[in-house]
Amino acid sequence: MTVKTKKKEDKRIGLFVCHCGVNIAGVVDVKKVAEALKDTPGVSMSTDYVYMCSDPGQQMIIDTIKEKHLDGIIVAACSPTLHEKTFQEAARLAGLNPYQIEIANIREQNSWVHSDKDKATKKAVKIVKSHVAKAIRNENLEPIKVDVKKRALVIGGGVSGLQAALDIADHGYEVILVEKNPSIGGKMIQLSETFPTLDCSQCILTPKMVEVSRHPRIKLLTYHEVDSVSGFIGNFKVRIKKKPRFVDEKLCNLCGECEKVCPQIVPDEFNMGLSFRKAIYMPFPQAIPGTYTLDEDHCLGLSPVRCGKCKDVCEPRAIDFDMKETIIEEEVGAIVVATGYDLYTMQALGEFGGEKYEDVVNGLEFERILSASGPTGGVVRRPSDGKVPKSVVFVQCCGSRDTEKHLPYCSKICCMYTAKHAMLYRHRVPDGQATVFYIDVRTGGKAFDEFYQRTVEEDKVLYIRGKVSKVFKEGDKLIVWGVDTLTGKKVEIEADMVVLAMAMVKTDGVQDLLKKLKISTDIHGFVAEAHPKLRPVESLNAGFFLAGCAHGPKDIPEAVSQASAAAAKVGDLFAQKELSHEPTVVPVNDELCSGCGICVTMCPYGARTLDPSKGVVDVNEILCEGCGACAAACPCGAAQQRNQTDDQIFSMLRAMLRE
Amino acid sequence: MKLHYYPGCTLKEKAVALDISTREAMKRLDVELVEPEGWTCCGAEYPLTEEKIVGLAAPIRVLRQVRDEGGEVLVTTCSFCFAVLKRANKALRDDPLKRKRINAFLRDDIQIDPLTKARTTDFEDYNGEVQVLHLLEYLRDRVGTPKIKSRLKRDLKGLAVAPYYGCRLLRPQEEMAFDEPDAPRVFEDFLEAVGCSAVDYAFKQECCGSYLSVSLPDAATEASYRVLRAAQMEGARAVTVTCPLCFYNMDSRQAAIKEKFLDFSGLPVLYFTQILAWALGVDREVLGLGEHAVPADSLFEEVPTTEVRT
Repeated sequence: MTVKTKKKEDKRIGLFVCHCGVNIAGVVDVKKVAEALKDTPGVSMSTDYVYMCSDPGQQMIIDTIKEKHLDGIIVAACSPTLHEKTFQEAARLAGLNPYQIEIANIREQNSWVHSDKDKATKKAVKIVKSHVAKAIRNENLEPIKVDVKKRALVIGGGVSGLQAALDIADHGYEVILVEKNPSIGGKMIQLSETFPTLDCSQCILTPKMVEVSRHPRIKLLTYHEVDSVSGFIGNFKVRIKKKPRFVDEKLCNLCGECEKVCPQIVPDEFNMGLSFRKAIYMPFPQAIPGTYTLDEDHCLGLSPVRCGKCKDVCEPRAIDFDMKETIIEEEVGAIVVATGYDLYTMQALGEFGGEKYEDVVNGLEFERILSASGPTGGVVRRPSDGKVPKSVVFVQCCGSRDTEKHLPYCSKICCMYTAKHAMLYRHRVPDGQATVFYIDVRTGGKAFDEFYQRTVEEDKVLYIRGKVSKVFKEGDKLIVWGVDTLTGKKVEIEADMVVLAMAMVKTDGVQDLLKKLKISTDIHGFVAEAHPKLRPVESLNAGFFLAGCAHGPKDIPEAVSQASAAAAKVGDLFAQKELSHEPTVVPVNDELCSGCGICVTMCPYGARTLDPSKGVVDVNEILCEGCGACAAACPCGAAQQRNQTDDQIFSMLRAMLRE
Repeated sequence: MKLHYYPGCTLKEKAVALDISTREAMKRLDVELVEPEGWTCCGAEYPLTEEKIVGLAAPIRVLRQVRDEGGEVLVTTCSFCFAVLKRANKALRDDPLKRKRINAFLRDDIQIDPLTKARTTDFEDYNGEVQVLHLLEYLRDRVGTPKIKSRLKRDLKGLAVAPYYGCRLLRPQEEMAFDEPDAPRVFEDFLEAVGCSAVDYAFKQECCGSYLSVSLPDAATEASYRVLRAAQMEGARAVTVTCPLCFYNMDSRQAAIKEKFLDFSGLPVLYFTQILAWALGVDREVLGLGEHAVPADSLFEEVPTTEVRT
């Protein structure tokens, strides 16, 4: 948006050269720079100061603008990414339009990379001169204002997603919670007990699940998947795919008759394949929503002609074979990504035999074996023959902390859950031997180390520092070969069961979605935060927030804290009346535009479209991020970025190359 | 077609069976094996045990000769030769400094033509142009299972054979790079292609005792016993190897093993190429079975000698 601006010939520009202590002044003769620019046309005053960004520095700028009636200023200092906002704010306080501020970078692009004082000073003069040429052509601009849709989308119904949804809803905003599985609960609902207090995982999570399902401001969409997201912060349009459940959740009365007659037996995902379910099933007794789901991939064929037994016995007539996949559209202002994690595959560690031997299980499988609601009713039995194992070997860091062959990072929770596994095993099988192989035992967390000490001292779990090289079967025993790095000796242990603490990895199923969201991820596929220390719950992509293990390995308390933090950030966003968008966008001059559409193909943000009726390009200024790709490509100069026009760029070049 | 083949010293002395069965088998797959002119010992394990660059001279001379004869691929069967040649080749490909130094050293080689007595000097630098392949790798990637199957002349009727990789064939993984050392398939797939059933057992990648055979024979005896016993317990009728040293430890040492471990009753050891040659219809007399300390003849009698497929 352009507001009235003075003609360039009449402009009065002020120049402020910063010493930045010795950062700039150590290499550039700042006084000389101020002196050299004094008589440049357009410049009506110039000065230098030790720290322009300091309070007195800013005050000097404010006072000078008022006193000298300046129409624009140049601050020759550090990169605009650091203090452009600071000086824009100072200008605003002095009554000057903030877009009349120019930052001439004479630090990162000059004093930090040069040592010759004379040449660096000359270069600084050139840099500043080019900005004078630009500043006299700058126009007054006003930020573009956008409304905020005060509804949030939470993707993922594990503990992080549930917490984020509850908190946002409790702030008073509507939430849409999307979960791809038939029930909410995520991985946490599969756990037996939780460290370090040994609370029953289901007992502490189900109340939250119920709260979510009853919350008046939460719209719970289970068995749904986010299909695509368009728009921008404050104004996202989301397409959500409703997968057919083939059972009307409102009609289903959970009588269970359908399950009894279903002839199809399938490995039960909730029990990690250690037991079986039918093709029509309820994932677990406390599932929310409380309804049966018909698994299309395993049903004999959704037709009364082929089977239809379940439909015949369903008294409330809840089963409907004709349900189709449908698409729902929603508008939201913010999106919380809480898509969770997967476990590294046992296949990747062939030497441990996880794929070959039934009694080599991963941590999540062992959770089910320990769980009172698990396939063995909480009695520790090994999968191959149901015997109670008298010797269990636990292997930590399976895939984690292995820079050569596997993943370089620490999965963070395995030390604690392995201690918990070994402790619970010893409680259930008092005459059993538990042995843990570890690299380090990392117990950073409240009451964590005390828990580990208890495992060692009270529950007599044997900890061996070293790695396991091989697990193989001899008769009905598993032989574990490892090394004790404290004694330097090889160790061989006979075990009835081996539990592998597999590394936590990105969820494969959501990688496509993350790509569609254009959300940035780290090298391991976890969603990246905007800043590792100062902005840990926001994505670099405006309007997206992170919660839980989608962002990297974390335990329950940490995941919940992050979810609450993300919810608070969503609250910040929704508390604003409207959002401001930078006005330095690239509009189209209708009279010059030939309608060639080159700029449309250049735009990475989908901000430009060709209007076929007018034969010119149309710009959605809210979507435009001002990257300038279109302006560079436009063959007729119709696309001109505000305050970065071709005229300005060429004037800068001329100013710089003149001498 | 012609293919460069490096037998290695052992195959000319102790392991003639491996050499001869390889040649006979490959002939039946339309491949004529050609030895590089004037090849020498690869250096055995020695050049790789120290960071001394001069140890690489022998294997690099062999590879340079292959290149100069127009060869693009060099196959070998012995696990040690394979490891030495492949690792030396990779060292030259990856490390510019090694490449420069070894070539500076080898440039002034003198070669005298045995007939004309002409002296050749001023060799062209060798930069790792040749590709070193193990025969198992060659059979898998260049010949392929369908072709092998189409040429089978004998039905081995799913003879239960335990593949033995040993320590050298697949390790170090990033250098050998042709199968996953902790869950390999190449040997199993080969056995299944020729009509055997591959026995899965836990010790297929464990060491046979290697050169401890010389300094600590008891240790080698025990190591070989563990491998043989594990294979036998899983129902193997024979163990098959690629390496002459593995063969020596597991075959010749069986008398000592039986003396020390009373539960062990003996198990024939075969070179993989003997099985291949047999399946492809090579006569029993040519397989070099006389070299075996543990008689293996019975394995080759059982299967019908009449040709099953033409």
